[in-house]
Amino acid sequence: MSETVLKVEGVHTFIGQHHILQGISFEVGADAVTVLIGRNGAGKSTAIKTVMGLLPPSEGRILFRGKEIQRRKPYEIARMGIGFVPEDMGVFSGLTVEENMRVAMLIEDEATYQRLDRTLEMFADLRKFWKAKAGNLSGGQKQMLAIARAIVNDTSLLLIDEPSKGLAPIIVESLIEVINRIKDHSVVILVEQNFSMASSVGDNFYILDDGIVVHSGIMAELVHDEELKSNYLGISKVGG
Amino acid sequence: MAEKTPVQLFHLEDKRKRYRRSDFYLRIGVLGLLFLIPFLFPSYKTVDLAMKIVIYAVLVASFDIMLGYTGILSFGHGMFFGIGAYSVAFLIGKYGDPSYFNLMLGMAIALLAAAALAVIISFLSLRVKAIFFAMITLAIAELAIVLATKLSGFTGGEDGISLSMPGIFAVSFSAGEFLGIEITGRVFTYYLILLSCLGLFIVMLRFTHSPLGRVLQAIRDNEQRAEALGYKTFIFQGISITFGCVMAALVGGLYAMWVGYVNPESCLGVFEIMLAVLLMCIIGGMGTLYGGIVGAAFYLITETFLPDLQHLARDFFPNALFLHNVLERWSLVLGVLFILIVIFFPKGVIGSVRDYLARGSR
Repeated sequence: MSETVLKVEGVHTFIGQHHILQGISFEVGADAVTVLIGRNGAGKSTAIKTVMGLLPPSEGRILFRGKEIQRRKPYEIARMGIGFVPEDMGVFSGLTVEENMRVAMLIEDEATYQRLDRTLEMFADLRKFWKAKAGNLSGGQKQMLAIARAIVNDTSLLLIDEPSKGLAPIIVESLIEVINRIKDHSVVILVEQNFSMASSVGDNFYILDDGIVVHSGIMAELVHDEELKSNYLGISKVGG
Repeated sequence: MAEKTPVQLFHLEDKRKRYRRSDFYLRIGVLGLLFLIPFLFPSYKTVDLAMKIVIYAVLVASFDIMLGYTGILSFGHGMFFGIGAYSVAFLIGKYGDPSYFNLMLGMAIALLAAAALAVIISFLSLRVKAIFFAMITLAIAELAIVLATKLSGFTGGEDGISLSMPGIFAVSFSAGEFLGIEITGRVFTYYLILLSCLGLFIVMLRFTHSPLGRVLQAIRDNEQRAEALGYKTFIFQGISITFGCVMAALVGGLYAMWVGYVNPESCLGVFEIMLAVLLMCIIGGMGTLYGGIVGAAFYLITETFLPDLQHLARDFFPNALFLHNVLERWSLVLGVLFILIVIFFPKGVIGSVRDYLARGSR
């Protein structure tokens, strides 16, 4: 693996009384899209929320470019260069698309405006609805806005939580294209249940089950490993 | 010349549209009307009503910064209005002579006292959220009323403090006639307060349209998400509260100048002020600032003229006893009007009209 960007070591996280992450460990390199996959309730979303500081770990270490971040607040982690696209998209409904983008711009300098221009070229719909309230956008457009907001800053690690959830197949296809373009600029960790999307963009994978990593490897190998897919992802080969 | 980027094109389009929008001319018209009121409708009642609409519009806008733009409900806002009113009353009423210096000093003290208290309240109370924050501010506001009432040697107690304006703003001052209207100190005070309120309103508009204002709206929509974008939301909420409270204190000082009298009930009262401000904010539309003008105008005009309707009803419909009974209880009519507005304008008048226009333009 190339230079390690993120290292999660033996992290435990509770949500209320529930022990969700039970000593999870994984590493993310600088030149790959890493996908966290697993069944519902396996702890995938909790894992990236913990990395983002939205859920405090009770144990373990999280290192971003060698620095411990497990005790830092979300705003500090964001300012270190980690972007987050939540499962519910988290767009600011009362603000326009423009205002959503400008809120996301932590620094309004020339480089950020160039990134904004590049982002708007990537997402044509955002240009079209620039002055529209984000709350009035369709699900796919909201997802595009959520991703655009996360990449408008100089983000070196992007955490994306189930971007395909509830979206039409044609929108998912365009999302795949977008994530493939983003990975040229940022390291991406993707949480995804949709195996078709996960395998289209992912280079490496970690399978989570009951709050721990049960398997990891290269996505190209997982695509052909029917037993693993059947055991942990509930995917069976048609007719098999 | 290099081709314009999408962002540059959006900025150019904004500039082009700025002076073509009909609401721009509506704003100019309302402002023009307010400037002409002392000459068009010189009666005491009308000028007093116009001035109170202006003052309450700014007070509601300052409350809207917290509630509509940041999502923080505070029942202590009226207390800051009272702090401003009492600061001015102390300096040119109870403890000082009416002079321009004392008037300015009173406003400066109002600003500093409100800022200091708002920062303390923010740091102590923002750890709790939503209704708990509202309850803490309600308790502090009630405490302020008790203190203002009980410390009568210092505050004048329930009797309050009367004050006089200095120089050209004194009630007895007269600068002769203009267009058949006597230009008294009252007229000068009207314009002083109108221009001050206009200045405060513009400052609030700039505040809400600044990058800081956008962050506040983001926090209102989704606090956790705003934090994950890199904003220390606690600090931003504190800034919003402090700014809103300072604006309320300054407009409280202006109110004292206009009415010439302060007491705990009229300047600090939670129900007298806060309930009215909350209703005005909801009627006008939260998160709009301009809603304050509509809400204050609707509330104060109906409150002023609804009691007169019973006299009109007696004159024109002497036998309509049911109508007389209803109009005698004019606050009931106000309540019904309020319910109708909430039903037909769920986002307040300005918010609903903006939504309607936005739908129409799509």
